[in-house]
Amino acid sequence: MSSLDNKTYWRSLADLIDQPGHEEARAYLDQRIPDHAELFGDPFSRRRFMQLMGASIAFAGAAGLAGCRYERDHIEPEDRRPEGYIPGVPKYYATAMEVGGAAYGLLVTAYDGRPIKVDGNPDHPATGKGSNAFMQASVLELYDPDRSRTVERRSGPSAKKHLPGTWKDFEGAARELSKTLAESGGRGFRVLSEASTSPTLAGLKREILAKYPQARWHEWEPLSRDSEREGLRVAFGRPLRVHLHLDKAQVVAAFDADLFGDHPDALRHSRDFAAGRDPDGNRAGMSRLYAVESTYSQTGGVADHRLPLRSELVKPFLMALEQQIQGAGASAPSSVALGEKKVADFLAVLAKDLAASKGNAVVAVGYRQPPEVHALAARINALVGGADAIGYTDDPEPNRPPHWVDLHELVSAMKSGGVDTLLVLGGNPVYDAPSGLDFAGALAKVKESFHLSSYADETSALCTWHLPRAHHLESWGDARTWDGTYTIAQPIIEPIFGARSAIEVVKHLVGRGDTPAADLVKETFGALATGDGGGDLAWRKAVHEGYAKAELAPFRGTPGQFAVTPLTPTQQLGTGASKEKAIANGQLEVTFIPSSAYDGRFANNAWLQEVPDFFTKVTWDNAALVSPKTAKALGIAHEEIIEVSIGDRKAELVAYVMPGQAAFSIALPIGQGRTRAGHVGGLVEDGVDPVGFDVGPVRAAAALLVPGAARVRGTGKHYRLSATTDHNAIDKLGVDTVQKRIPELIKEATLEGYRHDPKFVVAGAHTPDIATLTDPTTAAPANLSLFKEHRYDGHKWGMTTDLSKCTGCNACVVACQSENNVPVVGKEQVWRNREMHWLRIDRYFQGDPEDPHIVSQPVLCQQCENAPCEQVCPVEATLHSDEGLNDMVYNRCVGTRYCLNNCPYRVRHFNFLRWDWYKEMDSPRAKVRQLLFNPEVTVRSRGVMEKCTWCVQRIQNVKIKAKNEHRPIRDGEITTACQQACPTDAITFGDLNDESSQVAGRQRLPRAYALLAELNTRPRHVFLARITNPHPDLAPAPAEAKAHE
Amino acid sequence: MARFEFPEWTEKFKKWVLLLGAGGPVYLLALWAYGLTPEAIREGYQPKQPVPYSHALHVGELGLDCRYCHTTIDKSPHAAVPPAAFCMNCHAKIRADSAKLQPVRDAFATGAPLKWTRVHDLPDYVFFNHSAHVTRGVGCESCHGRIDHMEEVFQYAPLTMGWCLDCHRDPAPNLRPPSEVTTMGYDPPGDRREIGNKVRKENDINPPTNCSTCHR
Repeated sequence: MSSLDNKTYWRSLADLIDQPGHEEARAYLDQRIPDHAELFGDPFSRRRFMQLMGASIAFAGAAGLAGCRYERDHIEPEDRRPEGYIPGVPKYYATAMEVGGAAYGLLVTAYDGRPIKVDGNPDHPATGKGSNAFMQASVLELYDPDRSRTVERRSGPSAKKHLPGTWKDFEGAARELSKTLAESGGRGFRVLSEASTSPTLAGLKREILAKYPQARWHEWEPLSRDSEREGLRVAFGRPLRVHLHLDKAQVVAAFDADLFGDHPDALRHSRDFAAGRDPDGNRAGMSRLYAVESTYSQTGGVADHRLPLRSELVKPFLMALEQQIQGAGASAPSSVALGEKKVADFLAVLAKDLAASKGNAVVAVGYRQPPEVHALAARINALVGGADAIGYTDDPEPNRPPHWVDLHELVSAMKSGGVDTLLVLGGNPVYDAPSGLDFAGALAKVKESFHLSSYADETSALCTWHLPRAHHLESWGDARTWDGTYTIAQPIIEPIFGARSAIEVVKHLVGRGDTPAADLVKETFGALATGDGGGDLAWRKAVHEGYAKAELAPFRGTPGQFAVTPLTPTQQLGTGASKEKAIANGQLEVTFIPSSAYDGRFANNAWLQEVPDFFTKVTWDNAALVSPKTAKALGIAHEEIIEVSIGDRKAELVAYVMPGQAAFSIALPIGQGRTRAGHVGGLVEDGVDPVGFDVGPVRAAAALLVPGAARVRGTGKHYRLSATTDHNAIDKLGVDTVQKRIPELIKEATLEGYRHDPKFVVAGAHTPDIATLTDPTTAAPANLSLFKEHRYDGHKWGMTTDLSKCTGCNACVVACQSENNVPVVGKEQVWRNREMHWLRIDRYFQGDPEDPHIVSQPVLCQQCENAPCEQVCPVEATLHSDEGLNDMVYNRCVGTRYCLNNCPYRVRHFNFLRWDWYKEMDSPRAKVRQLLFNPEVTVRSRGVMEKCTWCVQRIQNVKIKAKNEHRPIRDGEITTACQQACPTDAITFGDLNDESSQVAGRQRLPRAYALLAELNTRPRHVFLARITNPHPDLAPAPAEAKAHE
Repeated sequence: MARFEFPEWTEKFKKWVLLLGAGGPVYLLALWAYGLTPEAIREGYQPKQPVPYSHALHVGELGLDCRYCHTTIDKSPHAAVPPAAFCMNCHAKIRADSAKLQPVRDAFATGAPLKWTRVHDLPDYVFFNHSAHVTRGVGCESCHGRIDHMEEVFQYAPLTMGWCLDCHRDPAPNLRPPSEVTTMGYDPPGDRREIGNKVRKENDINPPTNCSTCHR
């Protein structure tokens, strides 16, 4: 496959089938392009479909008999209106949410008391205005009817059924427990908490341990970052946190580290990185990013150079890198032959580049890597890293053992009968604890167990008490972002289901049951935020702003001596490419990566389940990622059910042949296959099959990297994935045409190439501007256009998307869904091309399928000047506005779908069904979902076309606000939902009639180009070509040649 | 094959068929005509309210300004109905034991809201903004009529899209200086159109007629 022409872009392996040398891939075609003959024969899962949440419900006007005169609607004013509250005007509150031991500062939009949208808090020093998909989707969870509503209890561990209880019951039990604990000194009492950075909860923990000295507090997180902390303990003698400042780095090397994806500080990383990637800016040059990783990450996607390498080889790679850097960039002999020449070349260039930018370089290692690799990286950073680009602080909780030790200790105590009472605060250990520990078995030996959780999940089912946990938008709390910023969370809404937070549960054990959580948080604030005086005014300010000054102590030091363990047999085999050093089945590497449900906690979130994974474009599933060559060697096919076994532990799941996956490394996404997640993620007892596959059974230990032990066996069974990759391809001819055209859709160049030829985007393109063409004989305007020119006296909205900055994080996709009431359609319907996302991110591969390069391109409505959709609508349901938007009028649409068929960008979406078709959606239990809708946007029904409107509701509201205040609209005052969500500021929106606006400036850049400009649609949205900054010594980026075509 | 003949019992339906053939078009025509009557488009709709609140008394006789109770009209899309506490500002003292005010006192005491029936009910796909009109000088009475004469509020204007567009295309006759928006029976000396044009110029009023102005 490596013979592939370097200029060819492709969307998936199916695209490559008729390239010479790709005959073996031909078999994919039938699987990958949905066969519409199957459409009617296949019984789709009605059950799941009926219970899908997040779909639309007719908002008001549910009068039953449409067409009856005088539909009665009521106005019910509150008895007393709170001061400063204006009905119908949204309010914005700062708060916080915590995921996996790091907080994010949020800005929540609340409409008449109900939160409807979550964004990053723009004033927050760590989070900034950007957000990620989890933050965006968290508001859906708030209104999830599956969230548990009552305290449940069983009489004992052997009793079968849970009975509904009340919080009073729990308070009684807590009082009794406190009494017993006071007598026994806490013997036999353990707490298992998910990773928490809440200083208030930490204070309560200290109180518990002081009051009941024999009690123990444990912490467990399935996707733990503790190996970094332990690695730094090895290097520096104390647990530390590493902080990267990518805007100050010239060369960044990421080893298995997804700096822009699953890192808790990813938003700041993205923002900082984008700041250093402005080819048009005043900065002397762009930073350069290298990624070495086993599975494609967002970081690998934006990297200038990426090397697919098994995760276990990062250690020998770093050892060799260190040697080469110390050899002052000369060709010092590397300690290990990693195998291929490609790897050695990459290593040499990286070493040279790092050494050359001493003081401005950063080496980052991902949390999957064992501690000693982190220690190695710290040593390299001491050699090349600058104090500006990389910093260390103390860990906020330096005294706790690492998660895997902590959980192991707890389970041993449980098994030996040493635990009488267990309080589980959040988390879902029965599902996500390593299978080797048999947490469920150990739990059966605990007399009394409490589980605080948003859902009555797998763990709740086995505990004697289930306590409903309040959503982060319902509770007072505090937390620290990854960089240590002390962040305060305030409730935006009263707990809808009467649930309580961890603080509100634990306080009952230390006799502080009567103190409201708000007071406890305020108390902590008084003790922590001493710099602000800690008074009432300072507190109010901190709540208002969402954060306060209380930073972690910085640490400066040099790594000490430590020994590195010898290489394992599979590490010595290198990449396993050569015949004599081949890797056999049974010696494969397995890595555990987060799925769209993260570690499983978001499994019941339909927005996250339906967002296509950036690399695989798979929705509603998790698949084992295998490289094309490995798949061939193992004899497994794409979408085949495979059995992965490590020792005697086995898991079955579907295989996805993933270009760019390192050979002989298999990535298994955790967090799916939940049996008690809910009606979206799977609820077996109610007949709802789990989404995806549970890979937990093969995860015997906590380590996220299992080298050299896995075996894969194909079962021959085919499984259908709903991936959006090849959607809209019609047949062979269509695939070919699309492929031919891809270079016109995405344009990229190297920095050098761009400087040499700034107008490269128009080179070779045949896009005469028909509007300005003149007749060669008379020099008069040729008037070739059939369209009437529009005039724009007022505003003229425009947008740009910078492909250099897009990391493909999917935040914009979910933000759009949240802002615009976009329905969820479910796996079956996605398979039928009926996904409704107004904004999609196209992802293209280029080059060798074993080591391709990725370009991402967010595509939304291009708001064409000569819009093909407008020309064909028979009922004028889509029209050009005098501000340049292609307005879509839902109430006029009769659903002919002509517009969709005539749209070259495929950004229109048709409501094939009313996504709330079935009765269950209107059940009283599910009514709570209606609170989620953005009241500014019509909820569309069946038979109606819809599309991106550039958030016209936001445009209108800002216009009205500005006019009410008798002033012009400021540049940047209107932000679209996707723009607001973007952590890298890749999207700009504004008025093109204003010459000085940012968007007009960006549209004037030489690298600006319109999508399919040759069709004379004249899109109002333009892309900025992607500019990369490859090292001259490595093979020039393939795009350069293309740029001069 | 023998010629098909209708059985005898169908004879009695003959006249019905004739009636349907002749009456059908008449019926459809009547239906269409009815659809255009003020009644069908809710003009004049006057539902019964839970409290016999009289705008004629409060506005007409006592001279309360609209904004005294509808405080949000220049800030919000909604002209919010005042909370019960608002009524009690006066009615805790004035007519404090009137039976007609019992629902208001109940609402104030229990917190259970008064259930007013909406008079001006636009379809759910229409997004109307009061503040945008009030601050530009569209008088309350232009759409709501002489509220100061209404014992019980009724829908004065048809509130159809055509009616909205009439004004958006030619706003001048309905514009007045923003200071006069709440005036009932506004009758300035001089030509309304001229005054409107002056207001329009001063406040840069260009009412859009895009679909997305109201539908989104």
